[in-house]
Amino acid sequence: MWFRHNRVLLGKILLLLVILLMVGLTSLGCVEGLQPIGWSGGAVSDGTLFVGSKEGRLVAVNIADDSRQWSEPLRAKPTGGLGCAAPMAGGGCAAVPAGVAIYGTPAVSGDLVYIGGYNGKIYAFNSSSLATRWVYPREDYLQPIVGGLVVAQGKVYFGCSDGRVYALDAATGDRQWESFKTGDKIWSTPVIDGDTLFIGSFDKKLYALNAADGSKKWEFETEGAIVSTPLVYDNTVYIGSLDRYLYAVDTTDGSLRWKFMAENWFWAKPVAYNNTVYAGSLDGKVYALDVRNRDKVAEFSLESPISSAPVVVNSSIIFASRTGVIYTIDTGSNKLKRLADIEEEVYGPLCVSNGVVYIHTQDLMLHRVNANTGAILTSISLKSKE
Amino acid sequence: MDLNYWELIIQQPVINILIVLSHYLASSFGLAIIALTLVVNVLIYPLTMKQINAMKGMQTLQPKLAELQKKYAKDRQKLAQEQMRLYKESGMNPAGCLVPMLIQMPIWIALFQSIMLALAVAPEGLLNLSGYLYPWPVVYSILPLGKDFLWLNLAMPDMLLAILVGGTMWLQQKMSMPATADPKQQAQSRMMLWMMPLMFGFLCLSFPSGLALFWVTSSVIRIGLQYVASGWGGLVPSTDGKQVIRDRRYKRRIALQEVPLREADIGADIVEPTSTEEEELGYEKVGDEGQDRGGGYPARPGAFGRLPRRDRGHHRKRR
Repeated sequence: MWFRHNRVLLGKILLLLVILLMVGLTSLGCVEGLQPIGWSGGAVSDGTLFVGSKEGRLVAVNIADDSRQWSEPLRAKPTGGLGCAAPMAGGGCAAVPAGVAIYGTPAVSGDLVYIGGYNGKIYAFNSSSLATRWVYPREDYLQPIVGGLVVAQGKVYFGCSDGRVYALDAATGDRQWESFKTGDKIWSTPVIDGDTLFIGSFDKKLYALNAADGSKKWEFETEGAIVSTPLVYDNTVYIGSLDRYLYAVDTTDGSLRWKFMAENWFWAKPVAYNNTVYAGSLDGKVYALDVRNRDKVAEFSLESPISSAPVVVNSSIIFASRTGVIYTIDTGSNKLKRLADIEEEVYGPLCVSNGVVYIHTQDLMLHRVNANTGAILTSISLKSKE
Repeated sequence: MDLNYWELIIQQPVINILIVLSHYLASSFGLAIIALTLVVNVLIYPLTMKQINAMKGMQTLQPKLAELQKKYAKDRQKLAQEQMRLYKESGMNPAGCLVPMLIQMPIWIALFQSIMLALAVAPEGLLNLSGYLYPWPVVYSILPLGKDFLWLNLAMPDMLLAILVGGTMWLQQKMSMPATADPKQQAQSRMMLWMMPLMFGFLCLSFPSGLALFWVTSSVIRIGLQYVASGWGGLVPSTDGKQVIRDRRYKRRIALQEVPLREADIGADIVEPTSTEEEELGYEKVGDEGQDRGGGYPARPGAFGRLPRRDRGHHRKRR
């Protein structure tokens, strides 16, 4: 009898274990970062700030009166995935907004605002009404688009997870060209300098393409995947790699000028000011390097990873740490000053307008900090009213 | 990035081991998962063998357990004590089979998390992965890992692999299932035999196939170990099992002879069959020569209901 009862008990314990495993996998297993949520930055044009929300909408914020306008939500790519493994929007284990993730910062040109979605589509909206002007591709979907867009010479340029760079007609959305396929996906945002487009790929290479037709000018290979956006400054392109190096590469022929190693990845786009490049690393430090010889001018500890691209305000560089602390670096004295703490995680790039820093956080809010005084202004909700 | 204890002790080592293994195994994340499974199974090898031997030992204890049940049928407390003593004397632990599974559970969960992070399924995952990496150059040069292995996308569920997981688990359970004559125990065994494979097969339809690859490799290893320890076990008909069943029937019949039939023992809805009915149903008198064949029939209809269904059919055939 004892054994019989224990058999029953063992069966129950086993069942409990399986249930525990299921709960463990779906709750404990669903660690932060398994679902695409998005971290779009803001772009200001004519008194309006445009940002991609975590609901999968383009939001226009009138920065004079805080009024907001929302676009129609981006349509999710149909997927057959289940549970946590579904990488597309919606479903899954995390309590995330059921919208298409938007990572890239909107680009504004003329009366159109452009945005790319994780659903693999590029959208052009009317900047005043937020009505959709065109969508590319019209019917099908590309692979997820993580990087931002750049508009130049009447074209919209972007990189895609299918490993190609695309150029579309900015007015109609017609494809002008698509590049050769790089060795892996592209999450980097392209940068245009003159007639050259610079972009990094997961295949560990930095590419220089002819902006007119997408042909390759040169490539430079690093030892790690490239996710960050390049910075072009004084005939040099600066790019961070997952091998923990920041590379300075000649824009004309792709030759290495110097490289600098941190303790973790350079994820965010650096900024340059007065012959010094300021690069934030995921090791929680900002490195100020002389652009001519990579000499370390200064090193600042922000105490948590830096994945958010900084902004320049007057002669100061504003950085945000992952934990939501905003710092300012005075480029004259190279002193770090804690400006404010918004107490929310910051992943996306910062945006500045009229001395106010705008920070889009994971809680569907747009936080505002006065860049000079550090005063935290009233934050704006990006949650739609529908 | 501050890591909690779970991340520091379990998740971080698993992620880094997987990345390093990938580096040395032709940058194949699938091979790294298989290699990790081997490592885990080597580490828990003593426990696994202990469990297999425990299951094997349980089979040998069956006759003694049956005797105890008969002897202390009316004193459950005493029966429990005697069974405990028997387990202790023979070095068996009925809960021992759960220990390897308990130990592997954190690894399963960590593996699931690692797969999702290391494959950079979502940009947030890749960004967070940076916080888990050891400062080894090899770790940084290989990321993010490739998600293709054979026909699998290791980040997505796969139906064929789910079937393989269920199938190999069923085989392994079947091999380790002890032969028993007790219908309740048989029901329990049947439940265990089907429940685990079905549950894990279902889980595989919802989670990355990288995790299923771990499970199927683990099951194949355990099938091998089980075969080495006790052969095909429950997969082939066991003569010992039949003997146990015969012993059981014999003892039941003897017990029925010893205990006089009382009116109170027979439910109101039980009707004594007539001699004709007995003939048709195949009841035989206690003490018939049939007992030597080892497949005797209960002396009363009420007792017939206590036999497992398959035994009833068996009786009819033999008759």
